[in-house]
Amino acid sequence: MALLELRNVKKSYGPVDVIHGIDITVASGEFCVFVGPSGCGKSTLLRMIAGLEKITDGEIAIDDEVLNNVTASERGLAMVFQSYALYPHMSVRNNLSFGLENISTPKAEIDQRVNEAARMLQIEDYLDRRPGQLSGGQRQRVAIGRAVVREPRVFLFDEPLSNLDAELRVATRGEISALHKRLGNTMVYVTHDQVEAMTMADKIAVLRAGRLEQFGPPLELFNAPANRFVAGFIGSPKMNFVKGTMGEGGKFVSEGGAEVQLDASRFQTRPNQAVELGVRPSHTSPADGGIPLQVRAVEQLGTETFVYGSVEGAEEFAMQLAGQVNIRPNTVQHVAIDAGSAHLFDLENGLSCAK
Amino acid sequence: MSAVWDFLSRTQGRGGRLTWTDWLSYAYLILGFLVILVPVLWLGLNSIKTQFQIESQDLSLLPGDFERVARATVNGPDGREIFVIGELPDWVLNWSDLSAEERADQDVDGFLAGFEGNALYALRSHLGEVSGAARALILDLGLPEWLNRYGALTPTAREAFDLDAVVSELDEDQQRLILEYLGVEPYQPNRIVTQALVTAPNPDTGEIMEWAIPNPNATSEFFPGRAVDGSIEGVVRLPANSVAAERNIAPEWDNYIEPLTNSAYGVNVNFVTCITNSVLVTVIATFITLLINSMAAFALSKYTFKGQTLFLVVILATLMVPATITLVGVFKAINATGLSGSIWGVIIPGAATPAGVFLLRQYMLTIPDELLEAARMDSASEWKVFWRIVLPLALPAIAALGILSIIWRWNDLIIPMVAIATATEAYTIQLCLLEFRGEHVSQEHYRLAMTVVSLIPTTLVFVFLQKYITTGIANTGMK
Repeated sequence: MALLELRNVKKSYGPVDVIHGIDITVASGEFCVFVGPSGCGKSTLLRMIAGLEKITDGEIAIDDEVLNNVTASERGLAMVFQSYALYPHMSVRNNLSFGLENISTPKAEIDQRVNEAARMLQIEDYLDRRPGQLSGGQRQRVAIGRAVVREPRVFLFDEPLSNLDAELRVATRGEISALHKRLGNTMVYVTHDQVEAMTMADKIAVLRAGRLEQFGPPLELFNAPANRFVAGFIGSPKMNFVKGTMGEGGKFVSEGGAEVQLDASRFQTRPNQAVELGVRPSHTSPADGGIPLQVRAVEQLGTETFVYGSVEGAEEFAMQLAGQVNIRPNTVQHVAIDAGSAHLFDLENGLSCAK
Repeated sequence: MSAVWDFLSRTQGRGGRLTWTDWLSYAYLILGFLVILVPVLWLGLNSIKTQFQIESQDLSLLPGDFERVARATVNGPDGREIFVIGELPDWVLNWSDLSAEERADQDVDGFLAGFEGNALYALRSHLGEVSGAARALILDLGLPEWLNRYGALTPTAREAFDLDAVVSELDEDQQRLILEYLGVEPYQPNRIVTQALVTAPNPDTGEIMEWAIPNPNATSEFFPGRAVDGSIEGVVRLPANSVAAERNIAPEWDNYIEPLTNSAYGVNVNFVTCITNSVLVTVIATFITLLINSMAAFALSKYTFKGQTLFLVVILATLMVPATITLVGVFKAINATGLSGSIWGVIIPGAATPAGVFLLRQYMLTIPDELLEAARMDSASEWKVFWRIVLPLALPAIAALGILSIIWRWNDLIIPMVAIATATEAYTIQLCLLEFRGEHVSQEHYRLAMTVVSLIPTTLVFVFLQKYITTGIANTGMK
């Protein structure tokens, strides 16, 4: 159907390089999410795929057809904008049919496709209204509908949920996933919210400062982050990082002198190498021995408890514990770490030490 | 209707009582309303005054004239006699203003039969009957044929004929007719002029009488009055404050009808052609202005290209040069391109309005780029983006520029004077209005009336396009 390939794609504005050469292959029918902090170039990359930004170097191809010199209007892609960008002077029906009219679709087919999309997205009742008369959620649906009627090779979404309230965002997230399952098109979705990325994506591309940090399925990124950045970005609550050095036989010694025995066969390290130990809050437990945690705050949520504090080697350290736990602020609590789920990163270059 | 009243009588909203801010607002509104309305009303009322009233600089608000009487001067062997003839019909008083057809409609002989003596002599001269009657008399009585030529002869040539011998044969009335015809002393032509009829007390006896005075509008302390019934010899000094003049209100619609039917006297342009030219110039130039300006504004606001700022600066720089300075250049360009004398010579220079480009560009900058990108993603060509997205969204600004352009082109005088002053058939309405004030004849009454006509289209345009401005604003709610 539509295999999207980015081959060493680069973008610079004058002397400023914003995208430093990115290779991504999105298989046909895959839902790919570009995620990263603001300013990482993910929207720029999406707009380059759309044809709204020129490609400085490299190639973008769909099904082996290089699109570098094809204009946006001829690429046959559809995009949902962050602001929706609905035509304010046209009715919802005309908003949906505008794209089809431009490619000279027969009138009967336009009506049929518009009605079908409207039924699917439950916007049939608003077809004759103007966008200004719709609520945010309804506009969102119209914007998606405008992309759907085009039956594009690739759908592009540019942070489409960022203007919705939290509840609607969760519901619409599910709807977009359902839409993807039903249509089976290739989709590229840009967000800064890693929860959206984790829940919707078949593949996630984590970007930082115009570079691809890691590209793979969500759980692979979660379980085997390639570097400290990805480890810190993916997963909520955030991973804890404790600075220290490697001792003999896979032993990790924190800056405060606490020792954690790791499975030496999982990591490739040199003795005395400066490293960071990464452990997710859910992989910690209270113990009599281990790393001493200076408790600063405790959040009791009923089904689980969060404990925040600091250890030597980490300003911030969090524990996520099941159930209700009796730990008081301003005390010292020793923490045991699930060694099988721990990660090690080189302190200097941030790369994972996993084998 | 009640909604309109509710709107107009709106107050600050404290139980319908007027606060001082309400008073202030209403006073301001009424003042503003009058500032606009009074000059227009003044123009409208003046446009239906008669030519005579306008030329006598009658400042009265209402059209119409004082009731008039005839002041007759009759010359004869007893010297000059001046007296007033009252109760004459309008056609007699206005005889000199009537056209040949209108004169033919009147039964002059029947009318003159009702008079005798000096009144008859004066009216006969006034109505131009003397020469006709004299020729008829010469034929009837078989008088010598040279009488018809006598009036035109030099004094030495006249010595060859014995006029006294011929005249002495005739009776007194016939003598008078022949001698008036020949213009022989003391029978100089008799004259009638109209004067205003007023009532005032006789300064000597206090008896209320009717008087004829030259001009009741004059700002003197005394009016020279002549008793209408002839009971007082000569002129009486009437104190101005004792005089009461009567007016009859008579709108002169001919001021409108005559130029519009091309039957105006002393005007050598066709007003209907001028209106047609002006409408063509205004419509075509506005259309071109809107099209070119919106395309230029689109490029300057929505594309990035080399020299963009330079182009904008150049366009804005032309705004700083007064139009009068470029006038000679414009004239040379019009002349060189052969557009001189055709309405295209007005249309094309007028269509270039840098102010319009700037206005539309500023408005188009507020249209979000994402809308254009969305259209491009919807496979729209750049033309479609312009026509279907940018133009409709810029409609409020385009309507505003449209109004301005229509008013500019309609009221423009300078470019038409430069471009088409040589070709009467290409005149626009403003040149036409200028034509009513000629070098020798001034036709202010036509000019005022046609000025009113020229105001109508711009007023209508404003009323109708105003609606587009507000609906346009209502439509652009992005988010």
